[in-house]
Amino acid sequence: MSNPVSVNTPGPDIADVLVIGAGASGSVAVSELAKAGIKVVCLEQGQWTPPSEFAGDKPEWELVKQKRWHPNPNVRNHPSDYPIDTTESDVNPLMYNAVGGSTILYAAHWFRFMPSDFQVKTMDGVADDWPFTYEDLLPFYEEMDNAMGVSGLSDDPAYPEGGAFPLPPLPIGKPGIKAAEGMDKLGWHWWPGTNSIASKAIGHRPQCQRYGACLTGCPAGAKASTDITHWPTAIENGAHLITGARVRKVTVDKNGLANGADYVDRDGNERHQKAKVVILAANGVGTPRILLLSKSEQHPNGLSNSSDLVGRRLMMHPYAAVVGTYDDNLESWLGPAGELAHSMQFYETDKSRGFVRGAKWNVMPSGGPLGMRSGYGGRPVDESFGVNFHKNLKKVFGRSFEWGIIAEDLPDEDNRVVLDPKLTDSDGIPAPKLIYKSSENTTKLIDFHVDRAVEAHEASGATSISITKLMRDCGWHLLGTTKMGNDPKDSVVNQWGQSHDVPNLFIIDGSVFPTSSGGNPTSTIMANALRSVRHLVENFKTQVTPSEF
Amino acid sequence: MLSTELREIYTKMADELIPNAEGMPSASEAKVPTEWIDRALEYRPDLQAGFIRALEFGKSKSPRDAIQSLNADDSEAFDCLGVLTSGAYFLNPEVKKLIGYPGQVPSPANDDIDSYSEMLAQVVERGPVFRPTVK
Ligand SMILES: Cc1cc2nc3c(=O)[nH]c(=O)nc-3n(C[C@H](O)[C@H](O)[C@H](O)COP(=O)(O)OP(=O)(O)OC[C@H]3O[C@@H](n4cnc5c(N)ncnc54)[C@H](O)[C@@H]3O)c2cc1C
Repeated sequence: MSNPVSVNTPGPDIADVLVIGAGASGSVAVSELAKAGIKVVCLEQGQWTPPSEFAGDKPEWELVKQKRWHPNPNVRNHPSDYPIDTTESDVNPLMYNAVGGSTILYAAHWFRFMPSDFQVKTMDGVADDWPFTYEDLLPFYEEMDNAMGVSGLSDDPAYPEGGAFPLPPLPIGKPGIKAAEGMDKLGWHWWPGTNSIASKAIGHRPQCQRYGACLTGCPAGAKASTDITHWPTAIENGAHLITGARVRKVTVDKNGLANGADYVDRDGNERHQKAKVVILAANGVGTPRILLLSKSEQHPNGLSNSSDLVGRRLMMHPYAAVVGTYDDNLESWLGPAGELAHSMQFYETDKSRGFVRGAKWNVMPSGGPLGMRSGYGGRPVDESFGVNFHKNLKKVFGRSFEWGIIAEDLPDEDNRVVLDPKLTDSDGIPAPKLIYKSSENTTKLIDFHVDRAVEAHEASGATSISITKLMRDCGWHLLGTTKMGNDPKDSVVNQWGQSHDVPNLFIIDGSVFPTSSGGNPTSTIMANALRSVRHLVENFKTQVTPSEF
Repeated sequence: MLSTELREIYTKMADELIPNAEGMPSASEAKVPTEWIDRALEYRPDLQAGFIRALEFGKSKSPRDAIQSLNADDSEAFDCLGVLTSGAYFLNPEVKKLIGYPGQVPSPANDDIDSYSEMLAQVVERGPVFRPTVK
């Protein structure tokens, strides 16, 4: 399927609402606002990505995925990317900058937070509760499941009873069965994967073709990225999208209310979009960056930063991978990739383990023959080459799968996004710098979970097991940097994403998460964005707006 | 385009990395130095400089010594050589066939619930694994 437009449509001089970022959360906002007849303009620094550009159905896939489709913007280095200083971070932040945002590359694990994720303080005595509960978000989760055409099996005992998914589960394949056999022996929880990938044709999306290339963009268009699921209808409903528009700052009137944004277009022209309300949806790194860049006389510490929490409490989910190799041919190059299955056996806190909180585990296939072979420089040559090149290939290729462990990291004010004093993007705008250390709780959590995942592989009959305790390129989930809460002293926005300091400024991406959960966040990001934007639409008539532009 | 001299050096280094063994062809038997490496370089122009640097190591040494010292002294160039050579090898459809990899071809997403429904019934029987909301 082709993208609906590639030309920038001229928008209104003064937008009712300006949305910054056309990714997962921004797409939800734009769709809702346009549907409600509100004049909405979206500024997005990236461009459209037609599925025909993806390499997952081409022979060169594994070669180009390590550069053109790499999830680390510092490696990919596209014109739409901005550099990020990671010299003081244990983990590299990953993202994609385009219409559809990071959903272009996401693996589409469609994970719903569990009830305890909203009550970490109440249940475990650490971090914070969310200002609302699982049950408050449930109707929005269900609505997003439908909008994204999610495939999964209902009645997972990891959740309170809930509605069915719109599509049946995808095949769990031979690796899923192998994993399930081990979990069955141990008496541990597992469930077929829940993915925002079409197991059957739905709307304009065809059925998954099992290329196993989800993480580099779905060439079939079966994966629910929001350029496909949301943007075409939003544009039909009158939304204005300006691509190649890199926002430099949110501007304010004399009373300190947001009144638009300055941006640079791809020809290097400085432009301004006026707006009555501004919504930030630029992700957990991009949003605090823009707020910190938006210093003014009225907001000398950065916009919406009277709490000094903008950029702080960054959470990125340290990820451990435990790969088992088996005698059988598991055809583990086949997709979805995607999760084939998951386990929530060790998700909830058990204080006898010596740490709090837990992790979701997911079974992932292992891809093509080259994927296993990058980054061997420095290791003995004969380990990977010579006769062993062939021996390893025969032993491992198609015969291994990963139990991936998504560790919940707790908020820490010292883990943060700041503006880099020197580094700038291609428009000369200061780049973000990440300061991020994995905590002792996380280390203990990962040690425990890795030991259990080794037991799981052993129970499944693995002949060898390899462990990566902290993958550096694992910052898929960018959360927490503009905390939501009831008290303006210790949060940046209220439960509707409305800034405590600037009542016509909203934040709706994963930045607002008070805690991170131990699972993939996009289902919750989109459900929360929907809840926030519905509230804005319902109260639009009484919304405070600036007196001057 | 590689010069004739560099292509000759590369042929020897590529066969050192991927020899004929275990029923599999060597890099040169699989036409890596004569055909597929050019394709691989087109797909990854960013690796070209490191690749050429790696070949320079082969000018005055035996292929084995060149590869050992390259790995020790310039692991970045070694990675360029390794990724491009293996990547080029796997571009060859004959090689794919020999390792049983159909390549990036569509495959129907047929439902396989029947193959695990009995195991899943046990999971359901074991009961909930979540803590409900505290009212
Ligand atoms: C490789 C990868 C795999 C992932 N897998 C999963 C998964 O399986 N399951 C899951 O739940 N999540 C996954 N994620 C995470 C998921 O993609 C994100 O949680 C989600 O996309 C975040 O939505 P967002 O709206 O906050 O930001 P994004 O989707 O990142 O969108 C932000 C947008 O803002 C734009 N922007 C930023 N700054 C500016 C500026 N100054 N001016 C103009 N535009 C700007 C960006 O270009 C971008 O398009 C994955 C992410 C990656 C990278």
